[in-house]
Amino acid sequence: MSFDSEADNKKFAEKFSFTFPLICDTDRTIGTAYGANADPQKGAARVGVVIGGDGKIKEWHERVDARAWPAALVGTL
Amino acid sequence: MLNPGDKAPDFTGRDHTGKTVKLADYKGKTVVLWFYPKADTPG
Repeated sequence: MSFDSEADNKKFAEKFSFTFPLICDTDRTIGTAYGANADPQKGAARVGVVIGGDGKIKEWHERVDARAWPAALVGTL
Repeated sequence: MLNPGDKAPDFTGRDHTGKTVKLADYKGKTVVLWFYPKADTPG
């Protein structure tokens, strides 16, 4: 998810045929709750979160590597 | 920051198709949230 508009995220999703929802947190409410609104002048920080089925945080990363994290995630999920 | 074991903050948002997405809808499932600075930028 990002602080981008629906239109911007729609373009992004269509370009890469993403099969998951890209949440448009335009008022930064969710980003703030999850510690991803570190600099209100900038876009969201690259925070990565894993939430368990019990609704509790399993992992919270301040900055994930966009290339490495997916592989690491697949190993832990 | 959040720590393992903390209750995940509940949220309701809207996705890129205009659909409402609630954390509560995923109860019982593992959820991954991934924030990025701007759509379609490398990093």
